[in-house]
Amino acid sequence: MADVQNNPDVEYVVQMKGIDKVYGNGVAANKGVDFNLKKGEIHALMGENGAGKSTLMKMLFGLEQPTAGEIVVNGETVQLTSPSVAIAKGIGMVHQHFMLVPSLSVAENMVLGMVPKKGMFIDETEAIRITKEYAEKYNLHVEPTARVADIPVGMKQKVEILKALVRGAKILILDEPTAVLTSQETEELFHELTNLKKQDYTIVFISHKLNEIKEITDRLTIMRNGRSMGVYNTADVSKEEISRLMVGRDVILNVQKDKAQPTDTVLKVRDLEYVNEWNKKMLDHVSFDVRKGEILGIAGVEGNGQKELVDMLFNFNKPDAGTVTVNGENILGVSQQLIREKGVSLVPEDRMLYGIAGKASIEENILSDRSTKKEYNNGPFFNLNQIHEDTDRLIKDYTVLCKSRNQQVGMLSGGNIQKVVVAREFSNNPVLILADQPTRGIDVGATEFIRKKLVELSRSGIAVLLVSADLNEVMELSDSLIVMHNGHITAYFEDTSSLTDAEMGEYMLGLKEQTAEEIGRVCHD
Amino acid sequence: MTKKREITFSIVRGLLAIAIALIVATILIFISSDGATFGEKISATGAALKQFLIGPLFRIGKNGLQFEPKRLTDVLAGMIPITFTGLGVCIMFSANQFNLGVEGGIMLGAFVSALAAIYMPLPTILHAVVAVLLGGAAVGVMMLLPALLKVKLGVSEMVCSLMLNYIVMYIIKYLMNTRLADKSKGQIQSYPFKETALIAPIADTTVFTSSKLTWGFVIALLAVVSCGLFMYRTHWGYTIRMIGINQDFSLYSGMKVGAVIVLAQVIGGFLSGMGGGIEMLGRYNTFSWSSLPGYGWTGMTVAILAGNNPWFVPFATFFIAYLNKGCDMMATYANVPAQLIDIVQAVVFLFFAAEQFLSKYRQSLVVKTAKEELAAQEGGTAHV
Amino acid sequence: MSNLWSMLLSPEFFFSIFRISAPILFATLGAIVVEKAGFANIGLEGLMMFSALSGSLVSYYAGHWFPGLCAAVVTGVVMSLVMGFFAFHLKTDIILVGIAINMMGSGGTLFLCKVITDITEGTAMASTTGLITRSLCIPNIKIPLIDSIPFIGRVLSGHSLLTYFAFVCVILTSIMLYRTSLGLNIRAVGENPDAASSVGVSVIRIRYTAMAFSGLMSGFGGAFMSMSYAQGWSLDMVAGRGFIALAAQAMGAGECLGGMLASLVFGFAQALGIRFSAIGLDSNLASPIPYAVTIIGLVIFAVSRKRKAAKPRVQAT
Repeated sequence: MADVQNNPDVEYVVQMKGIDKVYGNGVAANKGVDFNLKKGEIHALMGENGAGKSTLMKMLFGLEQPTAGEIVVNGETVQLTSPSVAIAKGIGMVHQHFMLVPSLSVAENMVLGMVPKKGMFIDETEAIRITKEYAEKYNLHVEPTARVADIPVGMKQKVEILKALVRGAKILILDEPTAVLTSQETEELFHELTNLKKQDYTIVFISHKLNEIKEITDRLTIMRNGRSMGVYNTADVSKEEISRLMVGRDVILNVQKDKAQPTDTVLKVRDLEYVNEWNKKMLDHVSFDVRKGEILGIAGVEGNGQKELVDMLFNFNKPDAGTVTVNGENILGVSQQLIREKGVSLVPEDRMLYGIAGKASIEENILSDRSTKKEYNNGPFFNLNQIHEDTDRLIKDYTVLCKSRNQQVGMLSGGNIQKVVVAREFSNNPVLILADQPTRGIDVGATEFIRKKLVELSRSGIAVLLVSADLNEVMELSDSLIVMHNGHITAYFEDTSSLTDAEMGEYMLGLKEQTAEEIGRVCHD
Repeated sequence: MTKKREITFSIVRGLLAIAIALIVATILIFISSDGATFGEKISATGAALKQFLIGPLFRIGKNGLQFEPKRLTDVLAGMIPITFTGLGVCIMFSANQFNLGVEGGIMLGAFVSALAAIYMPLPTILHAVVAVLLGGAAVGVMMLLPALLKVKLGVSEMVCSLMLNYIVMYIIKYLMNTRLADKSKGQIQSYPFKETALIAPIADTTVFTSSKLTWGFVIALLAVVSCGLFMYRTHWGYTIRMIGINQDFSLYSGMKVGAVIVLAQVIGGFLSGMGGGIEMLGRYNTFSWSSLPGYGWTGMTVAILAGNNPWFVPFATFFIAYLNKGCDMMATYANVPAQLIDIVQAVVFLFFAAEQFLSKYRQSLVVKTAKEELAAQEGGTAHV
Repeated sequence: MSNLWSMLLSPEFFFSIFRISAPILFATLGAIVVEKAGFANIGLEGLMMFSALSGSLVSYYAGHWFPGLCAAVVTGVVMSLVMGFFAFHLKTDIILVGIAINMMGSGGTLFLCKVITDITEGTAMASTTGLITRSLCIPNIKIPLIDSIPFIGRVLSGHSLLTYFAFVCVILTSIMLYRTSLGLNIRAVGENPDAASSVGVSVIRIRYTAMAFSGLMSGFGGAFMSMSYAQGWSLDMVAGRGFIALAAQAMGAGECLGGMLASLVFGFAQALGIRFSAIGLDSNLASPIPYAVTIIGLVIFAVSRKRKAAKPRVQAT
């Protein structure tokens, strides 16, 4: 395993040297990072969520400025003060969340910022011609006149790549490009990328999917905790080595758990149907039960209806048909307050949006679902002593790393923020916990803690519904498991212990599907 | 960032905002000052500035400064109405509700209290209390309109409350012109208030009576304490603040978001209505307002200066009342139009509200703190 | 009652609708463009006050309306750029910036009026109505041909130059938004600022441009107020038109044509109020009509929007 960091003989198109980045909230996202690119290579940038990859690439694309360090492009030291500067230097970026304007056409998106004009007006025909020309040249098929809002994800990505190329990008940064693609679309993308590489384009490929990295990249840089862990030739390192460099230890988190002893049904979901605003069927006859004392996992590639399902269960959206009950009582279309009164807790997927009030203190965040509780109020006033006492206890029990209960939650690290969220959600005597991506993007320690806690709570007789795109997590934690694909349940596994990754993958990608009878066993009527 | 640095930053920032406002004021005073030559204008500006800055408390005579108790009581009395509107705005802005109806609210409150003072037969003290509470209640009801429309239909509370201000003003003017005016008087004014309804000065000395420094001042301070406790020691106030910080979070947490948004606006309205009543019954004998008094807009400045925190409202109102008195002094002694206050106030307002004002200084403090923490974590080996 | 009807069917009534709508329409177009760029300018009211003052003063000093109009427009643009500086550079909540401008627009304009007239005229004046004569106002224009058509001629001809310009601006603004690269950029910035900036469109420059456009429109609206609607500037003369424009923007669903129709509705309401007071209704009872109509209009708009959203989706693939 050879670190090929600084070879003086090679000419680099990009060199980033000693990059530091401290954000306005005090988070140090990059610490002395070195990163370089050779002409005509596909270079993987790897690391867990929050390792600092996105920050580093944002600086290369001029979206953020380094606090310290130097960036050299084609041998020239540059100040990338804005994306336009980066574009002018031949750097293009395809973001994970598409940078497209939905109400504009593909052609309009293509030429945005460099509009062809006829006199004072936009030359629509020319815009369409340019789009067609580039689409053909790079073999990336798109429909120039379609509204971006109406085209499929794969085509949106092609528009993004074309957008970069039409602006003269020779260096392309792709931020987790395969996260939203089907396997077929991924294959297509790899084919296109290889094509570009042959034409001497340099590509940065951000991902944490090991197979893809091995398949397509030439070299890789691994980041952990804001620091670079070194640069390697892809062929020289094994998947296991990459994994160890990324995660920092060999142990796969192994949460010990006894066999579940499920009893009564708590959550009963029947025939949920939902068609979204773009007329895509997101939920298709979804039915399942979650019982006391068990963790039911929902696995699946993101975007297959999991988000919509959780939204329905917590009244953030209304289904077109179906019923949902908790201990026999309806919770569909019921206010969040009443849902919580029935003992339902939610660890939300988007913790910054729903999980916390960033500018409020830890204490105020823990108080949010229980501020009207009897023991917290003396007449009209808060019983502050009781509140302080309970908050301090939760901070200690959930090992929230903080200066005091009065610290602003937004100032904590991701893992500690999530600990505050789960401390609240797990501590108000729930009968049902909905855990939606409970450990996404947080550090290993917090992940392990939260997973253990979930198992512990389920064994104490709480029903847990775990929704996770992290295959490892959902397979480790779940007692039984369902797989969602295209808005419906394609498999139910009563016992997860003998399940293999390969088998799961086939269900998740929709290659296989169980019979209705097999799936129907998840309803314990 | 450490608490100490946070406080230092806030103080530096506040003082600089005030300094900028004073510089703007100085330029405007210079332009408006009398004097044929540059030198004369400079000295006239100096004299005006002196009135502006020191005048609210001291008489500037030939033999130096002389403390004037009457001016101090004027300043304190000037705090009364804007304390109420300031508190009202604090509560509404805390819930992230840009209801700008306090302006119409204070006029409606004053009007309703005046009606109660004229037409209700009640014993002393009780009469004033009932009149003021009725004034408050009327505005509380008025605020139900923008609040409910916001919660039920998503109508902008801002536009709606602004429109209400005008409607309230014209309806009051209409009622005054047609039905309620004392026809025996040359100008449009109501019949006199009953003696029982008047709010008495705190002390029976000429200084207090001529300044109209009434018990209303004490009530205003009590209102500050009540609002402070309400916002920071009760679950309603807590809910209001959380909704203001993150409404989605509040909804998800099971808070009664809609109801509390309405509550915040009704309380805000009630406070401004009370303020109008207290101002009316403390300062006047008849109702003669023919346009919006401007206390509502000043209340917004107060809320911004106080960072929507009721506990800081008295300081903000003192500051504004002081500036106001300073402008009055300048208008009297230095021929500078008193409306300068509106410009000064707006400038202070802008800089206080400007989040990124001095952001580079703030960022340097943040980076410094982060470096220290990193150094502490890694035993001083970090090269950041 | 028949008196009222004949009044409402008179050409003068329809004429007044257009006249009254014009300043609201200017401000509404400003509100629409700013909204397309993704934010709200609630300072239109204050901007119009400043423009009205500077327009009338410069018109008086120059002895001609045209420099006055230019001054009003420049004032609107410069002040809107200052607002932009606070909102975009100092990250002040744009609503608070608007509130501050409105605060200044009330007492601050009076201060400036007094100071400036004190310097130039020797006495501090609380309004400029004494300075502006008919000839210093923006001229009215008789349109040949149309002028001679009975009824219609008296409705459509003889308006202030700016009234016609306001309606021309509806078309120009619409073309700007949908046919030029500036419009494309404005819409892109409003809908997805990250997307716009990622292709090198300077979001901040587009926002400033949108802001300046609203200042430009406020400039015209303000000039119209003090140099056509009334002769001269007086305290609080804009009287909420800047706020009504925000409502008109919302009711017009953010589009130019809709905004124009909404402005005309407000113009109609106010014209109606004025007619009411002409037949003996107290003017103070008639004056709140446009404000009440605004609230009612917003409610109707909100209800219809809610209805639309509640309709079942078309099941199609």
